[in-house]
Amino acid sequence: MSVMTVPSSRADPRRIFKALASQEALLAIAVIGLAIAVGLYNPRFLAARNLSDVLLGNAYIAVAAIGMSMVIISGNIDISVGALIGVLATLSGTLAVKGVPIIVTWLAPLVAGILIMGLQGVVIAYLRIPAIVVTLGMLSILKGGLISVTGGKWITDLPDSFHLADLELLGSVPMPVFLMIAATILAAWWMHDSAPGRAIYAVGGNAEAARLCGISQPRTVVMVFALHGLFAGVAALLYATQLRVIQSTVPPNLELTVITASVVGGVSILGGVGTVIGSTLAAILIAEIASALVFIDLSPYWIRAVQGMLILATVIADILRRRRMTGA
Amino acid sequence: MSEIPLPPIARRAAPWWLLRHETMLAAILLVALVVLGSLNDRFLTLDNLLNQGRLTTEVGLIALPMTFIIITGGIDLSVGSIVGLCAILLGYSWKSFGFPLPLAIGFSLLVGAAAGFLNGLVITRVKVPPLIMTIATLALYRGLAEGISQARSVRGYPQWFYVIGQENLFGIPAQLWLLLIAIVIAGIALDRTTFGRTLYAIGNNEIAARFSGLPVDRTKLIIYTLSGLMAGLSAVVLVSRVTTTRSDMGSGYELDVIAAVVLGGTSIFGGVGSIWGTVVGLAMIQLLKDGLALTGVKGDATIVVIGTVLILSTLVASSLQRRRDGV
Amino acid sequence: MRLGLAGALLGATLLAGTANAADKRWDGADDLPVNPLACAAGEAAAPAAAKPYDGGQPTNAPDKAGKPISLVDVPKLIGIGYFNATSKGMQDAAKELGNVTVKTDGPTEAKIDEQIKFIDNYITSGVDGILFAANDPVAIAPVLKKALSKGIHVIGYDANSTPDAREWFVNQAEFNGIAKAMIDSMAKEAGEDKGFAIVTSTFTTPNQARWIAEMWAYAEKCHPKLKWLETVEAQEDNNLSFNQATTLINKYGDRLSGLFGMTSVATPASAEAVTKAKLCGKVAVVGLATPNAMKPYVNADCVKSVVLWNPVDLGYAATYVARAVVDGKLKPGATSVDAGKLGKLNVVNGSEILLGAPFIFTKQNIKDFDF
Repeated sequence: MSVMTVPSSRADPRRIFKALASQEALLAIAVIGLAIAVGLYNPRFLAARNLSDVLLGNAYIAVAAIGMSMVIISGNIDISVGALIGVLATLSGTLAVKGVPIIVTWLAPLVAGILIMGLQGVVIAYLRIPAIVVTLGMLSILKGGLISVTGGKWITDLPDSFHLADLELLGSVPMPVFLMIAATILAAWWMHDSAPGRAIYAVGGNAEAARLCGISQPRTVVMVFALHGLFAGVAALLYATQLRVIQSTVPPNLELTVITASVVGGVSILGGVGTVIGSTLAAILIAEIASALVFIDLSPYWIRAVQGMLILATVIADILRRRRMTGA
Repeated sequence: MSEIPLPPIARRAAPWWLLRHETMLAAILLVALVVLGSLNDRFLTLDNLLNQGRLTTEVGLIALPMTFIIITGGIDLSVGSIVGLCAILLGYSWKSFGFPLPLAIGFSLLVGAAAGFLNGLVITRVKVPPLIMTIATLALYRGLAEGISQARSVRGYPQWFYVIGQENLFGIPAQLWLLLIAIVIAGIALDRTTFGRTLYAIGNNEIAARFSGLPVDRTKLIIYTLSGLMAGLSAVVLVSRVTTTRSDMGSGYELDVIAAVVLGGTSIFGGVGSIWGTVVGLAMIQLLKDGLALTGVKGDATIVVIGTVLILSTLVASSLQRRRDGV
Repeated sequence: MRLGLAGALLGATLLAGTANAADKRWDGADDLPVNPLACAAGEAAAPAAAKPYDGGQPTNAPDKAGKPISLVDVPKLIGIGYFNATSKGMQDAAKELGNVTVKTDGPTEAKIDEQIKFIDNYITSGVDGILFAANDPVAIAPVLKKALSKGIHVIGYDANSTPDAREWFVNQAEFNGIAKAMIDSMAKEAGEDKGFAIVTSTFTTPNQARWIAEMWAYAEKCHPKLKWLETVEAQEDNNLSFNQATTLINKYGDRLSGLFGMTSVATPASAEAVTKAKLCGKVAVVGLATPNAMKPYVNADCVKSVVLWNPVDLGYAATYVARAVVDGKLKPGATSVDAGKLGKLNVVNGSEILLGAPFIFTKQNIKDFDF
């Protein structure tokens, strides 16, 4: 939030790239190392079924973290994403039980996500209200609005064809995992190689320089939020189609989980640095930790403390590594 | 978050604009009070207003140091979890360590301060950005509260302890005295001391503040410690009011506190803000919730209104400011 | 060096955690005694010695016998199916009685201090009676006592407060009754000597903690060979419950023959996890749940029995009790109360009104319910 760390690294793109590559490497090593360590204690952890369940059950968090990472890289933040996912999941489910064609129920949350987040982006970029204020307000509005409209009535009797998350591609790759990987690769490629993608880094890293290069800062911010809405829509779809019941409420603390995945993934909250590959790896790591703590017979009372400790350790390690890289 | 170009004026402490924002907010508050008061004759009574003060004390105590922190361009998301940790340790040290209750209260304040100090230490020494550090300790401190308590509550405190949270002193709820004293001290500290000026200087331009020889790191360490300490105090007040401890106490406080502070005109980018604004922001949220409830608006609709007010009032304030700046 | 410090801290936390893992005894975390029922089916526990009335009384409550009254219902949280159902029961009762209005309002999350604020506001706005389901029995007591002191009638349902903070509590089913129904079903479906695990909301949720404590006591007494594997938290979140149930299935493999869902969220999610793992018939799912969410699993024969009381009846009874109290028909020392279509309900434990034995939904009867 303040201008203090890693300013010097911005000057040299090659060094940034190196730093990022190793943050992702660090996370990948952590993901594999943890799996092996827990596997030694309890080999059942390494069963293919368990590993794929960890991915399957948490893919929606990774997908939402992609959009969140873009938002953070552009120098903003979004607290409303958890509430939005709750609203979009309910929207999709409500349409499905009303007998709307399935393709429409799948597209509706994406469109609604783009619209709601895009609107927030407009308020943030053109009316210049800080993102934390707008999204904090929107969190209240979405949460209260959802309960006002639905009364919290659960959606049951969903048609079988609605369950997108149950599909398998080529007979073996579950849809949530496919979407997570595809979205990550596409987003990473787009942010790295396309002009609008690189503009996100420019706006977050040094808005003044970005302006001088002819990049429209407000337009970029709106674009980022709209994209974030799209990813939130995909996440909501995975969230809604995995189970036979939709709760019509806001998933508790989901926004914190998503933001945590982004920052653990090495996305600097100062804007301008990070990749979505890191955030996806981090989402996987966090989910893996949650599962691993059950497998190592940790007292359930202490699970959250250990989770917090591991997150803290990862974050500190990331910052220390970055400082060493930049010689600060 | 720091790099969105603001009109240059916002980077300086702009006294008249500040005054303007808060006066405007206070005016909106007054109008709301009158309207809600005319809709329900039980709203604008001294009893009700004092009672609302009682209910908002816990959030208010934390909002004061949070104002300091946000003025420096930082944030502390771990406050709600510190409340939970301190509440648990208050009960635990009293019941399981056999501490006399006053000592247990002191111990829980100390733990709060230590938790805040750890935040400050890592933020200043390791240079972990405040949002990241406190999002990690938000999970950690809540987890410690759960682990230490083993999901047990501690109840049955001596009668004198309930005075803090439930009784009146000189006609005013006891904990409201604590809040009033804290407001006065925080207000003076921010407006009239070098410490206060250092906070604004850090928020305006941290590097410049460092070069002008201001004790940037020490000041930050102090405000994060203070934030933890006040969260501890808030926990003591809360336990006294509800007569029991639970590890989930105070969850979600961070967003209530931040909403009050930013509604009060403190800029999330740092450098701008005041205690007076935070107090108005606090009053506005609490009284709106109460007034709407008394006029028959339900809880879910109330939070929609609060969210809208938060966005709109910031919008109005910033557009006024921009018109003045001629941007 | 800093990393070393962090590592040491982490190690210490882990150590503390595993050291505590050995102590798995569940006692409800509230130091209350457990009271397991007799093992034989249908046989009630030895009737406890009639306890004297231990509720509180409002001071100078206005006499509104027979006159219209307005009640407010403050559940643990609004916007979930279960409390929508209790709220519906209240509206049904209000319509039948004709001289009662009930409004349901409350926090959007089950937080103790939010709930207290709502009750406090309704005391100020002036109602004749408050119906509540407590998020915490002790934390809610001061504000309820305040209501009593202002002459407002206070009736609890679903989740109790300390007895002296309210007049009556409408008990949906006694803790030990639920525990017996759950454990008996599990022993029947999974087998007497099999292992099972539990998915609950949080360890601090009072009702769930009591149920688990009573289940432990009853299992120890009547089904001592059942193996108690693990209990995990999953908040009130569908997907988290699903993930936790899946983790348990993967961790224990063949050793796991049953899953308990302790909330209406955890049970369908556990059933879904079992379905997805293709273990229907191998892992029994028993739990508290509402019928609509369970129909797919019950109809697919994946879940055989769902334990619950009828929450609509619970809200209905609470409203009738409030009316009876105002009318002077339910006074301390009474042994029963008339509750409209539910007939006479008995007073137990001094100041509690028992709705009845828990209901077990099966494939045969589940289609008759819609909530």
